[in-house]
Amino acid sequence: MKKKLAVLLAGLMAVSMAACGNTSDTASTPTDTSTDTATESTSDSGSTGGVTIQVTTTYAGEDSNAQNYKDAVAAWEAKTGNKVEDSSATSDETFKSRVITDFEAGSEPDVLFYFDGVDSNQFVEQGKVVSIDEIRQTYPDYASNMKDDMLPESPADGVKYAVPVNGYWEGMFVNKAVCQAAGVEVPDANTTWDEFLEDCQKIKDAGYTPIAASLQEVPHYWFEYTIYNHQDAKTHATVPGSTDDEYGQAWVAGLNDIKGLYEKGYFPENTLTAKDAETFELFTGGKAAFLVDGSWKVGGIESAVDNIDDFTVTHVPGEGNRKTTDEIGGLSMGYYITRKGYDDAEKQAALVDFVSYMTSDEVVSKFAGTSVTALKNGAEPDMTGATSLAQAALEYSNSITAVSPAVQDNLSEAARAPIFGDMASIVQGTVTPEDAVTEVLTLASE
Amino acid sequence: MKKKKFSPGLLIAYIVLIFWALTTIFPLAWSIMNSFKDKKIIYQNSFSLPVGAAFSMDNYRNIFQNYNVLSAYRNSFIISGTVAFAVILFAGMAAYALTRYKFPGKKMLTGLLYAGMMFPVFSTIIPVLRMQASWGIVNTPYVPLNLLSVILPQIAGNMSFAIIVLSNYIQSIPIELEEAASMEGCSPQKIYFKIVRPLCRPSFVTVGIFSFLWSYNDLFTQMFFLRTKDNWAITILLNNIASKEGVNYGALFSSVTLIVIPVLLVYLVLNKYIIKGMTVGAVKG
Amino acid sequence: MDAKIYRSKKILPFFLAPAFILMFVYLYYPFVQNILNSFMHIKYIGTSGGEWNQPFFENYVKMFRDPKMGIALKNTLIMIFWTIVGQVGIALVLALLVTNIKKGRGFFRTVFFFPIVISATALGLLFNLVFLYDKGMVNQVLQFMGILDVSTNELIDWKSAHPIFTMMLPVVWQYVGFYFVILLTGLSGIPSELYEAAMIDGATRLQLVRYITLPLLRNSICTCIVLAVTGALKVFDLPWTMFVNGMSNTWLTGTYMYSKVYTDVDYASAIAVVIVILGVVLSFAVNHVFKQKDDYAV
Repeated sequence: MKKKLAVLLAGLMAVSMAACGNTSDTASTPTDTSTDTATESTSDSGSTGGVTIQVTTTYAGEDSNAQNYKDAVAAWEAKTGNKVEDSSATSDETFKSRVITDFEAGSEPDVLFYFDGVDSNQFVEQGKVVSIDEIRQTYPDYASNMKDDMLPESPADGVKYAVPVNGYWEGMFVNKAVCQAAGVEVPDANTTWDEFLEDCQKIKDAGYTPIAASLQEVPHYWFEYTIYNHQDAKTHATVPGSTDDEYGQAWVAGLNDIKGLYEKGYFPENTLTAKDAETFELFTGGKAAFLVDGSWKVGGIESAVDNIDDFTVTHVPGEGNRKTTDEIGGLSMGYYITRKGYDDAEKQAALVDFVSYMTSDEVVSKFAGTSVTALKNGAEPDMTGATSLAQAALEYSNSITAVSPAVQDNLSEAARAPIFGDMASIVQGTVTPEDAVTEVLTLASE
Repeated sequence: MKKKKFSPGLLIAYIVLIFWALTTIFPLAWSIMNSFKDKKIIYQNSFSLPVGAAFSMDNYRNIFQNYNVLSAYRNSFIISGTVAFAVILFAGMAAYALTRYKFPGKKMLTGLLYAGMMFPVFSTIIPVLRMQASWGIVNTPYVPLNLLSVILPQIAGNMSFAIIVLSNYIQSIPIELEEAASMEGCSPQKIYFKIVRPLCRPSFVTVGIFSFLWSYNDLFTQMFFLRTKDNWAITILLNNIASKEGVNYGALFSSVTLIVIPVLLVYLVLNKYIIKGMTVGAVKG
Repeated sequence: MDAKIYRSKKILPFFLAPAFILMFVYLYYPFVQNILNSFMHIKYIGTSGGEWNQPFFENYVKMFRDPKMGIALKNTLIMIFWTIVGQVGIALVLALLVTNIKKGRGFFRTVFFFPIVISATALGLLFNLVFLYDKGMVNQVLQFMGILDVSTNELIDWKSAHPIFTMMLPVVWQYVGFYFVILLTGLSGIPSELYEAAMIDGATRLQLVRYITLPLLRNSICTCIVLAVTGALKVFDLPWTMFVNGMSNTWLTGTYMYSKVYTDVDYASAIAVVIVILGVVLSFAVNHVFKQKDDYAV
């Protein structure tokens, strides 16, 4: 029996390896030789590069730009003769703590592509990264192709460190087939919040779920937009001073809106226990009409549905001072050069050249697709062969009238917890919105 | 002695065993099944069979074309093999000493053992990273050094469990054999290696299997110490493929399959040592 | 045990040093750091030092008043009960059955091991689908059996209606195979002569189990219970993938600590200390209750 099983398992493995036939061989066996040649070329190329730099980014795994990144790095290596030691990984909590600990242990990389919000505070405060201004003293052209006022400022000291690549926006994806079945028009730039509520009721009455959202796992999209509806693009990203001030009241009002949506039954019945993937499935499977999510979801929807023409993306209906076309978006990540790498005279020029290359008009255009960039010349995405959803995404992003960064990026993970980790208690009424906001603000002020 | 071919007790035994087997086979079969399906089809129905148009090798093709899977397997086996071997060696010695010798502070060491099993890896990883970075074995250009930086904490992490299981087993070995050997002039080292170890082989194999398995599946430590692609172990490689925005189920299941199969092979190969001796008496008759 | 041959202790360091040096460097020393952290105010993960809390045991006071910690402890106690009864109990039954059959023994030994090798992510996903609200396996079966009314589309949201059951079942199930293997190892140490002798005396199968197997397996069972109790205190991965952020009041000590690791570093350290203390105390207690001093006497 054991033997049979062993043979079976071995067979399975063989099948899975054979699946890739020759490619697996070419991909795997000659690696040793390829690394050998790489080291050789670095050792004997005294003329141009010959520098090895350590780079950490989040362009890895399923990131839609992972391949673009690989290609760009290879191109830069070929161009300069330098070598990139790449330790990119999927961005999650483990990755973040590894990056932070590396700074603590003095084993940080030379170049880091990382978040520019509060996540960067620690190494910024400790002076472990070099500001753009300082680099410009020696290399005046550094990041000169970017709009200066769109370069993100560190929340810790207001200084600019990171050179951004591709940004993001958050918008409302719509399952047009569901809208049609419920006799509701697809919302557009003119749809108001009240009209949206009426639509939701019609969709619910027709037996569909109006809004696909897991308040348990990803409540932040709705949090951002509902409080945005009580503010405007200029004030949205401000963390309130107290629950009673204008901004604090906006937060409370926004949370009450979410509570209202929940009580009216516009979210999925199990929104407090469902996973994001589960509610996403409601949306793609034709059971829910709306999904508020980020620009990165375009690819996810494309690969999850059969008829992409049933889907589009539009603005989240607004009220008050927020126009429906005012959106959440921004450049939440960028390239940092670390102090350790910059102070290494041998590496300095190569590091600056690497970041300049990775943030050049050409490379950024390729990475950005339909999303926001800080380029002076704007990005020129290549839309040949794009799906109707991707086209809609481009139109959407072009019709945005004002952009505000997400306020959650100005809150630490710990401070967010009382709202994001406990939305169930808020919508069920065991915790009042006021108390939750107060708790968040107390943690944020620590 | 002739026995009835069939008894109600035996029937019940088989029913229970088969029922449990179904629950344990199902998830694995389900994972392997879904690994041959496109993520769209998994979304629609994860319990359907991958036949006809639903069958797809794309998940595997994607992995093997884009990543150096064999190098990752090699790294995994180097790491986990070394960990299992070192744990068996050191934990066995310690377990022997703890069961056979009486000495002051023994109770305290036992307490430390239990504690060692409880330490969450999250609370030890950061000091360990700092320590190893200061020794210069983290983030080096040399693959073996980087692998070592995973191996050492993993050996320590599996030690408590191993010592506890092994000392329990050593305790049940009759001491008379050791006394006899001692009379013939054997040193304790010799007694341990020549008598105790062979006698306890099943438990050493068990401990080896679990140390191997835990080291192999320990994504967290690997994420901290294996950064660049040529250092990657299989778990970290496949995690990098499968975990990202929206979760690509197809990639996830092909990853699970690729991770699980080698471990099951190891288990199958070593399993017979666990069982040796056990079957003889219990089934005769 | 104080056998003559083990009176001389000169050799002791040779046996003990390698294991314990490694553990001191990689476990105990880092954990001392963790204990210190639990008394301090730490802003970011990875930073050490900083200021002492005022009073220094602030985190421990906080824990006493923290309702979530209370929920976590209560759930963990329930979990401990089920791991002992469920995991070790089922594993024992399965191990005894497997040794008493002839055909298919190798098969069962192999397949019972399957759940342990599959990652928590994949299992979490599977059980999410099994207990899924709409089109989940359990709900479909119940509808098919007529327990749930199909005409009104009656469904059970397992994660909010029966959260504790839905969380614990997968965990208990997954680790049965682990204890099964450990118990098999213990069984392999029982000399077959004992059974043969008893059978010549006309003992039945049940009597063999009752009077030979179980008493001689006592140490192994004790080890299993220690492992089960400590395991229940620290388990977090599978529950976490199914019940993120302790939803529906499903906190366990392990998941609660994990939820604080990145956001409230010093508090997480304090919870870790409490988990370790509970683990050590309970392990000693189990040993005290179950273990015989000298259990091998033929």
